[in-house]
Amino acid sequence: MAMRVAFRCLTANFSPVLIQRSRPVQISASRLLWKANPAQSLSTASRLSTALKFTDKHEWVRVEGGIGTVGISKFAQEALGDVVYCGLPEVGQKLEQMEEFGALESVKAASELYSPLTGEVTEINTELAVNPGLVNKSCYEVGWLIKMTIDNPAELDGLMDDCSYEKFIKSLDE
Amino acid sequence: MMLRTFSNLCAQSQACFRSARAKSTLSAVIDETGKSGLILKSVSTDIFENLALEDWIHDHVDLQNRSMLFLWSNAPAVVIGRHQNPWQECNLQVMRQKGIPLARRRSGGGTVFHDLGNVNLTFFTSKKNYDRHRNLQVVTSALKGLRPDMDVRATERFDILLNGQHKISGTAAKLGRTAAYHHCTLLCSADRALLSAVLKPTCQGIKSNATQSVPSPVKNLLDEDPTLDCDTIMDSVASQYNTEFGFSSPVTLVDPSDELSLPGIQRMARELLAWEWTFGRTPKFSICTTFELKNDTSICNATLNMDIKNGIIESCDIEVPSDWLPVELSREFSLHLIGGKLCPYQTSVIAAELLRTIPQNKELERKMYNLCRRVVFMM
Repeated sequence: MAMRVAFRCLTANFSPVLIQRSRPVQISASRLLWKANPAQSLSTASRLSTALKFTDKHEWVRVEGGIGTVGISKFAQEALGDVVYCGLPEVGQKLEQMEEFGALESVKAASELYSPLTGEVTEINTELAVNPGLVNKSCYEVGWLIKMTIDNPAELDGLMDDCSYEKFIKSLDE
Repeated sequence: MMLRTFSNLCAQSQACFRSARAKSTLSAVIDETGKSGLILKSVSTDIFENLALEDWIHDHVDLQNRSMLFLWSNAPAVVIGRHQNPWQECNLQVMRQKGIPLARRRSGGGTVFHDLGNVNLTFFTSKKNYDRHRNLQVVTSALKGLRPDMDVRATERFDILLNGQHKISGTAAKLGRTAAYHHCTLLCSADRALLSAVLKPTCQGIKSNATQSVPSPVKNLLDEDPTLDCDTIMDSVASQYNTEFGFSSPVTLVDPSDELSLPGIQRMARELLAWEWTFGRTPKFSICTTFELKNDTSICNATLNMDIKNGIIESCDIEVPSDWLPVELSREFSLHLIGGKLCPYQTSVIAAELLRTIPQNKELERKMYNLCRRVVFMM
């Protein structure tokens, strides 16, 4: 556990260019870490740990093969409560960074969603129409919201990595 | 409760007077007062203007270290939640007949009927200070302040019940980038007959994942106590708001049509009025229903299957027994509806065109007319 945390913090110093050059990640970060050859583990971990980037609006984006998958963080889904409806954009819709692209309705409120990047929507998670609770049950995996192109990769630099996001959440409680 | 107009507030605020430049917008004036709690009351009874003002305040006023209460009421209107289906929630026919507009708000929740006997309260805060329980406590304390023996209680669903049975208030909320608002209704002296008539949906056979309202028996506060009118209640809530949060704000009147003080508000109101928002934002749904067609000599059952996305008919299949109406006619009608809005006006125009093409045959014409009328009625 401690080793994983150490790797994640180290990656804060790694250039995002590393992500662009690496081959697309197919399986979850944690599994690959354990399976990787110890000699290669540092670079593998760095590629995977920087894969999840966070906004201060509690959305995350995972970059795989030039496509960003977007969802909301565990912190966000806990604050939201049970999601009863996901209002998502259309495929093909162009989004600017920070532009409102939809809303999640829970018993608490309608919470707006803000695009972490500039790009075009390539896919929306149609499962959520039938099972909006997936956002609560599996916010990082099957509860993803949209996939989009990344028109301006430099925008990723401005987003928080795992470590920074954890610190950010802690600061909100103060 | 001291009432001031926005221009009075401006004139009395020294800082504002000094900087009486072209840009004394509401947010600038608010910042210059330095107050951390403000109470605004709308002079408008237009649902779209008032909803636009909510959006404007949410987007333009710095709510990080400030809270606001907004008091408003509207001429008759039906207001649905952000992700609701109006065809599933209300009687659009009756609304059209009586000139009652449909509005879709940006917060979640269910469908409500507004009229001048209903008070709306919007509590604006930062996301951190978002607390619906506390806001509703302001309301129940205000009511108990007027009538100490009144049994009014907030429920887990954030409704307020009178005597543990009748709903007098419903709640909805929106969480934005850094700010939030919680608004609720309060039934003082609403037209309950009209309320029941418009909140009874007429379109059958809808299959949808839109958020659905939870119907509840309602009552007016005026029924409980004839001296409780809207103005008395609004004053009491404003006073209690100051007490609860330690503010000392007078009630300031605001005109939501004032583009100079509220730049961009007219565009916001237009967006809320547009069909693309009120009807077009309805989540994808389908209608699958059977209905009767009658004329002097016969009756038959017809079926209608439609898929609607963004309020547009994507697929349509109207089946009428061929011995009642030639298949080509009902098929022609179905085809012409595809790609159009689920709208009685548009559909009537299409129907009129089709009726003109029918060869001189009174009986056929009448049957076709019946079919068209029945389909239009569903919309």
